[in-house]
Amino acid sequence: MNAVLTIAKREVFAFFVSPIAYVVLTVWLLFFGIVFYVLALVFAQQPGAETNLLTAFFGGTTLFYLPLLVFTPVLTMRLLAEERASGTIEPLLTAPVSEVQVVLGKYLAAMTFWCVLWAPTLSYVWLVARSGEHAVDWGAIGSTYLGLFAVGVLYMAVGLLMSAVARNQIVAALLTFLVLGGLFVIGLAGYANVGDETRAVFEYLGLWTQMAGFAKGIVDTRYLVYDVSVAVVSLVLAVQVLQTDRSA
Amino acid sequence: MIEVENLTKKYGERTAVNNISFSVRKGEVIGFLGPNGAGKSTTLRMLTGYLQPTSGSIRVGGVDAVRDPIAARRFIGYLPESVPLYREMRVEEYLRYRARLKGVRRAQLSARVDAALQLANVGDVRHRIIGQLSKGYRSRVGLADAIVADPPLLVLDEPTAGLDPNQIRQVRDLIRGMAGEKTVMLSTHILPEVESTCGRVLIVNKGQLVGEGAPGELRSAGQGGQLLIVESRGPRERLEAILSTVAGVRQVRDAFELESAAAPLCRLRLDVDGAAVAEAVSAALAAAGFALRELHCEQSSLEDVFASLTMRDSALHDETGSEPPAQINAAEGA
Repeated sequence: MNAVLTIAKREVFAFFVSPIAYVVLTVWLLFFGIVFYVLALVFAQQPGAETNLLTAFFGGTTLFYLPLLVFTPVLTMRLLAEERASGTIEPLLTAPVSEVQVVLGKYLAAMTFWCVLWAPTLSYVWLVARSGEHAVDWGAIGSTYLGLFAVGVLYMAVGLLMSAVARNQIVAALLTFLVLGGLFVIGLAGYANVGDETRAVFEYLGLWTQMAGFAKGIVDTRYLVYDVSVAVVSLVLAVQVLQTDRSA
Repeated sequence: MIEVENLTKKYGERTAVNNISFSVRKGEVIGFLGPNGAGKSTTLRMLTGYLQPTSGSIRVGGVDAVRDPIAARRFIGYLPESVPLYREMRVEEYLRYRARLKGVRRAQLSARVDAALQLANVGDVRHRIIGQLSKGYRSRVGLADAIVADPPLLVLDEPTAGLDPNQIRQVRDLIRGMAGEKTVMLSTHILPEVESTCGRVLIVNKGQLVGEGAPGELRSAGQGGQLLIVESRGPRERLEAILSTVAGVRQVRDAFELESAAAPLCRLRLDVDGAAVAEAVSAALAAAGFALRELHCEQSSLEDVFASLTMRDSALHDETGSEPPAQINAAEGA
């Protein structure tokens, strides 16, 4: 456990001394700030709308997921690919630590980035609550952030796996974008002329409906099971990749 | 400390390390010598658990390094060949991180890091960012990393590459200073380094062990035999003809005229079977009426041994394919 924390700490440090962190944070906050501002304007003109501002903000599928498809690869691309490209993976893997500890340490760091990126959005919640224009459903806020965390569990694990597979950061970022983009497109396929049940399956797999539900305060454990399963499989595969590299 | 048996590593079809066996006793400083691409780094990477062997066994400190690599790695401080470091970290931060990773307790952390900084002579750059350091400093930071957890075994892959002569001397002194207390295995293709630091040498070529012994033993047991230097006044061809017929002279390696005259002073180098051949050489020259200016015997350098072992091996490979070369075993027991 100590080794996991040591690795995670160094990774977080490396991320936040690099300019990437600040570029990502700035663009991220700018983008979601604009989305929030526009939504707030729209809701100001429609008093008594069915959904409230925060639900629309976190649950609006395309505006929510599309930027994540771009930001996630940037967060995760360097995790293992950078170690491999610079050769630092050799001292790392010859220290008395297991591949599992390395992968968990990197994953813990990635989840930390994820949480740091979302943390500023708590200020939107605070703003909404303060303005008093919309009632804040604190239960729904709790489930929203649980949903966000669960999406991160899946996205960060996929990004980490791609960073383990790829030989350099660019390839890692592209692969992550392709896989997560692919998942997103699966959700789109639900809009083809298929039955309601098939559409539900597509939307479930593509995560389309996950945030819509969680933002309304519906904690659907099927999504949590899905997110965690994909994450576990990705992490196990990432460990396998590191082990296979040793006997290459 | 290290016992390696029948170690083999294949990359696809290519065999990088072919059935190497050796052992290293506690407290020994052992040199791992070979031309580039001989399989030195691959062998060290298997020792340190970075690579899995295709076959064979490795025991480090009595632990099976293939079955239980993490336990084995606790014994080892490793300096990889290209000294990969996190460029964005400061030297001291990096060493603290590495020490924690290697399981140094928090209470001992500062003491261990300070000791490593001092031993590797990088204390003056402890607050500098690694990416901004010169190559010499970076390789010594790598060395500090290898010793920071105070492991009983150091595996150093070309520890003096990229250092200036003063730094090379410092690193050699550091390694010599640890002899006895720590076991050191270092690879290099620089021969004087081996002669000045190592008690024993393993010579590898094309993935195979082609020689083993103390530097001195290898030198006298090597193919080169001994070299006799002769200076005499007379026509070069005549001298060559006389000397090549003397019993015990394998060949006239080369001959130079040191001045241009009818009877110039010539310097000849002869490969001979032993120092005693010098007597026959002087008698033969005297009988032919030539005066001797100088006659002395030179031990063939380790360089000659190395060249003859590795060159012969490659010649053999070219002719017969994969037939393994004969081994020269100068060590009393390995």
